[in-house]
Amino acid sequence: MSVFISLLKKELRTCFYSPIAYVVMFFFWALTGGNFIWLLSQLAHGESLTIATQLMFSGPMLTFALPVVVPLITMRLFAEERKLGTLEALLTTSVRVPELVIAKFTGALIFYGVLWLPVFVYVFFQSRLAPAEVTGFPDGGALFCGAIGVMLVGALYVAIGLFMSSLTSNQIVAAIGGFAILFGSFLGMMYMAYTAQSSGVRIVGQYYSSFAHMLDFARGILDSRIVVMYITHAAWFLFATVRIVESKRA
Amino acid sequence: MIKVSGVTKKYPARLAVDNISFEVNRGEIVGFLGPNGAGKTTTMRMLTGYLPMNSGTIEVAGFDIAKYPEDVRRRIGYLPESCPLYPEMRVDEYLKFRASLKGVKHSIRRAKINEVKEQCGLTEVGKRIIGQLSKGYRQRVGLADSLVHDPDLLVLDEPTVGLDPFQIRQVRELITKLAERHTILLSTHILQEVEAICERILIINEGKIVASDTEANLHRKLHACSIIEMEILAEKAFASEKVAQIPGLDVRNATELADGWLWLEVEADSAAMRVELFNLAVAEGWPLRELSEQQHSLEDTFVQITRKKGAE
Repeated sequence: MSVFISLLKKELRTCFYSPIAYVVMFFFWALTGGNFIWLLSQLAHGESLTIATQLMFSGPMLTFALPVVVPLITMRLFAEERKLGTLEALLTTSVRVPELVIAKFTGALIFYGVLWLPVFVYVFFQSRLAPAEVTGFPDGGALFCGAIGVMLVGALYVAIGLFMSSLTSNQIVAAIGGFAILFGSFLGMMYMAYTAQSSGVRIVGQYYSSFAHMLDFARGILDSRIVVMYITHAAWFLFATVRIVESKRA
Repeated sequence: MIKVSGVTKKYPARLAVDNISFEVNRGEIVGFLGPNGAGKTTTMRMLTGYLPMNSGTIEVAGFDIAKYPEDVRRRIGYLPESCPLYPEMRVDEYLKFRASLKGVKHSIRRAKINEVKEQCGLTEVGKRIIGQLSKGYRQRVGLADSLVHDPDLLVLDEPTVGLDPFQIRQVRELITKLAERHTILLSTHILQEVEAICERILIINEGKIVASDTEANLHRKLHACSIIEMEILAEKAFASEKVAQIPGLDVRNATELADGWLWLEVEADSAAMRVELFNLAVAEGWPLRELSEQQHSLEDTFVQITRKKGAE
């Protein structure tokens, strides 16, 4: 356990030492700000407050940004270790591969969580701005589900990004590969879910589209099928990463 | 300490290590030599459990690496080729991180880190960022890292590559100092380094161990006769003939030098036959200004061993 803690601490430290973390943070925080402004303008045009809570987590500006942002966080994880040769140094100590993979995953997921923190500041302001006679706002349940939702989606995205990073020693390749898979499936599933002609294809799309899932989560719907899907898919990619790191050494 | 028997490693396109066996005893410093691409790094990586082997067994301190990889790793301090480090970390941070990964107990971690820092001359640079250190210091950080968990065996893959002569000497002195307490297997292709540090030499070529002996024995095996050089003041043909008449001596080369002296290269059964040459010079009344045995360099021996194998 102490080895895991050391690995995790090291991951977080490296993450926050790297300039790319701050670039990503700046970019994403600017988007959350943009999202909030857009949301306020929707309210000014007479949109309901319920919608306003939903858009905190599932505004299109944010959901479309995630497939770009996450590979930028994860590209470093294994590719850099391979490039520097430190993977060899790590794996010749008593570190076990699964331990290492989970430490990297957890570190990246924590950073991903930090990216979402400004949303809670906006929720605070929004609740202060709301007139006194409005009750049931902010909607704690919907906010909670929205937060769970973004973390679940994040877990799968980070696991995919980590997997791509384990395949190569080139960070650019890892980032572009992750971006291609995430953005490709994001758009593809969204297209299937909303515009496909055949109802069968539409159902499959709705099962898999993280855009649709994030809307649901933000409305306060916690569908156990979807929760299980994200957890198992993320676990599968982590497992695949472990196998890649174990076998791809020279 | 190390017992390698019948180890083979195949890469998809080629055979990197071909059925090698060797042993290293406790307390020895063994130099692991070989041309580039001979299989040194592959062997070391298998020894430290980083690469799996296709067949054969490796035992370190009595533990089979395939069955007890953790026990083996705990006993090995490994400095990989090119000394990988995290450039963004500070020296202290890095050593603390590595010590915790290697299971050095929290209560003695600080003391242990200070000890290896002192051993490697890093006390002054603990707060510096690794990326800003010179190559020599980085190499020492790598060495300190390999020592931090008090291993019985040090496996060092080209520890002085890329250093300037002054730094090479420092690292070499450090390694000699470490040899008092550790068994060391050291790979390099700098031959002076082996001459300076190692007690025994293992030579690997094209994936096979081609020699394993002390430096002196290797020379003896390869060079059955001694070469004696002498410089006299005499007539060339006459002197050559006189020398050749002594049994056990044979003139290999005779050259008249620019200043009129004669330089002779004589093949002798043993270096002790220099006395015969001296006596001859005295008897003939030749002035003698040089009489010495030619030293074989490790470089000659190395080239000869590896070329012989390559030509087969």
